[in-house]
Amino acid sequence: MLPTYCPSCNNQLKVNRLKCDNCQTEVTGSYDLPVLALLTPEDQQFILRFIINSGSLKEMASELKLSYPTVRNMLNEIINKVKSYEQ
Amino acid sequence: MNSKFSFGWFVNPFNRIAGLQAFLLGLLFVLMMGIVGTFSRVCFDGVFDMHLTHQMTFDRSFLLLAIDVSSLVFVMWITGLIISKSFRFLDILGTMTLAKAPFIILALTGFFTKSIDLKEILPTPHLNSALISLIVIALLSIPVLIWTITLMYNALKISCDVKGTKLNISFIIALIVSEIVSKILILLIS
Repeated sequence: MLPTYCPSCNNQLKVNRLKCDNCQTEVTGSYDLPVLALLTPEDQQFILRFIINSGSLKEMASELKLSYPTVRNMLNEIINKVKSYEQ
Repeated sequence: MNSKFSFGWFVNPFNRIAGLQAFLLGLLFVLMMGIVGTFSRVCFDGVFDMHLTHQMTFDRSFLLLAIDVSSLVFVMWITGLIISKSFRFLDILGTMTLAKAPFIILALTGFFTKSIDLKEILPTPHLNSALISLIVIALLSIPVLIWTITLMYNALKISCDVKGTKLNISFIIALIVSEIVSKILILLIS
């Protein structure tokens, strides 16, 4: 799992270095993590399933064996998290 | 996801069942309550009210249940419009109808007691057994009522996606208002 928060002070981490496995080139800098990477693995999995199901909450509910409002509430929770990260 | 049947099913089945499915299941329970209530002479004269009567007809039994369910659904729907940004009427209809299901227990208890006039109890010793059964039913109705209210609370919570104080206050007000609305409708129709 990609660490997103500092284990020492709990501040949000930034990407400092990226490396090409092919030619070993390294790019350094200070890059923000994408908003989706800040979500929990469960939330990321939910978003993936949501995309695969063409954004249909009904299909998601049927796949997860949960009721429609429960799935919609889960999505609302993720939307609120994303909104808070964007601020 | 754990799909095993658990205690959670009894207090909050709405995580897994809502909308049309919940409505049809709830309707089945309401129909059973109407039939059983007619034979056991149990009258559901309010959203969370029941009394034993001397005589009960199918017409009256179903009319009272229709008033109960529609008052509850209507008031909860209005509450949803006030407290929630987006919700489906079908979810309120389904979850609230299903939340009435535990009342089937109260309908069944009518078979084990008889309607008695409280004025007759004290001077008439032979009525003691009837009095005991009445007390047992009164005690049994408390957990059933708590269970029903818990289901209604979770129904509103899941259907409207509201939490905390907002949910608690709006639910209490909605419950009281729905009881008043049902009582007024019953008075108007009777």
